[in-house]
Amino acid sequence: MSIEEFYKEISTAIVNLDEEKAVEYANKAIKDNMRLLDVVEKGFAAGIRKVGELWEEGEFFLPELMRGAQIMQKCLDLLIPHLQSASEKISRSTVVIATIEGDIHSIGKTIVATMLRAYGYEVYDLGADVPVEKIIEEAIERKADIIGVSALLTTTMTGQKKVIELLKEKNLANKFKVILGGAPVTNTWVEECNADGFADNAIDAVRLVKSLLDK
Amino acid sequence: MSFQDWLKDDSKIVLFDGAMGTELIKRELEPGKVSDLLNIEQPDIISEIHKSYYDAGSDMCQTNTFGSTPMNLKRHNLEDRIEEIIENALKIIKKVRPSGCLIVGDIGPTGEFRPPVGNASSDQWYSSFSNQAKLLEKGVDLWHVETISDLEEMLAAIKAVRDVSQKPLISSITYKKTKRGFFTIMGDSLEKCIEALNNEKIDVIGANCTLGSKDMLELLKTAKNFTDKPISVKPNAGQPVVKGDKTYYKQPVEDFVNDIREMIEFGAKIVGGCCGTSPKTIKEIRKIIDSI
Repeated sequence: MSIEEFYKEISTAIVNLDEEKAVEYANKAIKDNMRLLDVVEKGFAAGIRKVGELWEEGEFFLPELMRGAQIMQKCLDLLIPHLQSASEKISRSTVVIATIEGDIHSIGKTIVATMLRAYGYEVYDLGADVPVEKIIEEAIERKADIIGVSALLTTTMTGQKKVIELLKEKNLANKFKVILGGAPVTNTWVEECNADGFADNAIDAVRLVKSLLDK
Repeated sequence: MSFQDWLKDDSKIVLFDGAMGTELIKRELEPGKVSDLLNIEQPDIISEIHKSYYDAGSDMCQTNTFGSTPMNLKRHNLEDRIEEIIENALKIIKKVRPSGCLIVGDIGPTGEFRPPVGNASSDQWYSSFSNQAKLLEKGVDLWHVETISDLEEMLAAIKAVRDVSQKPLISSITYKKTKRGFFTIMGDSLEKCIEALNNEKIDVIGANCTLGSKDMLELLKTAKNFTDKPISVKPNAGQPVVKGDKTYYKQPVEDFVNDIREMIEFGAKIVGGCCGTSPKTIKEIRKIIDSI
């Protein structure tokens, strides 16, 4: 099998949600001393991108999206220690993510966290019903690049704005990019909050994080 | 007249109520509060909302028990208060229900997903719904299991209700519109859901939430091809827009109501509204029904 074919096989295993095959390929890549960054980017990441596309097209649904991301994450957990030891350092930006205080809806936020991890980001998921101060403390502690704040209720959305206001008060507004998520969030709300962006779904969230970090 | 009489009467279009949550937001409900807890803490507000829907012309309104399953209450550390919450819900609605109108026992999703999305099992769902249904049974005329986005969770809820009650049951699933048609977020197609529901001991097949009135009209036209059971529709009034601390629904009431008129023409038996609708919406639908 040529190396290109091997990448294709990996990508197909992810799209087919075949955990056993995907793990086998990850281990083979490590054992054979392959260029692991290429294996991740051309094999695994290509697969998860396809899973995301299929989800956006309405071919895949939540169970497939989550399963794909979980398999991807499992393989990355195997590969990443070797990437670092081979001094092929992957640049892992950090995202701190939470559902805002007063809001216990965690599923959307969890899906976004899983997808971001699947794409190789270092993600600290603080859970649901998290106070504004706590989100900021964790972001400082974890040296986050991005803070993601989710709110499903129109009544708790105001907490998203408070995160940004408190960052300004503490003169930390330039330290982090703040992105918003949740069913009621719109562009108008993002502008009103002075946030750095919002995502409609988990795939959009990955795109948004990537574009903000590329800036 | 009982609900079954309404179903048998071809000329009867049953008018359901509109949103509870939207009305609570208008009254400045504290952020994040479980609205079912208001049955205990602010029963007058809940009673006023039920009354406003009955006054607007609803034939039936649902109890304020959307989130009153043990699984959902547990996330708020309120599972110990389930009996009190449901007892109060029944008392509140009974007080304002006009004669000739009905009380619907409202059952919403548990908020817990099955793997790989979450960790819930059908047995857990069943037991949670069963607890809620047992407490509601004595005070309701019929059931509405609603806003469920997983067919398996719906089937667990139906089994739980049927094991404690033989009263009529409306089973409303929440769909999203995709390029390939209407699906639940868990991937069950409209056709698959309806075919499964056709085989269950339920009286009405429904859809509610997420979809606005235009999409719901399209869903109804498709759904009619798959079932002979009566159909219930409770669409949203478009998407919410937040400005400052306030939430608005931009869709004009006339547009929503015109779509409901078309849904009735296409055979909807039960009509009402979900998020963003209000007593004003219901009042306008009443006028249409009365003019038919």
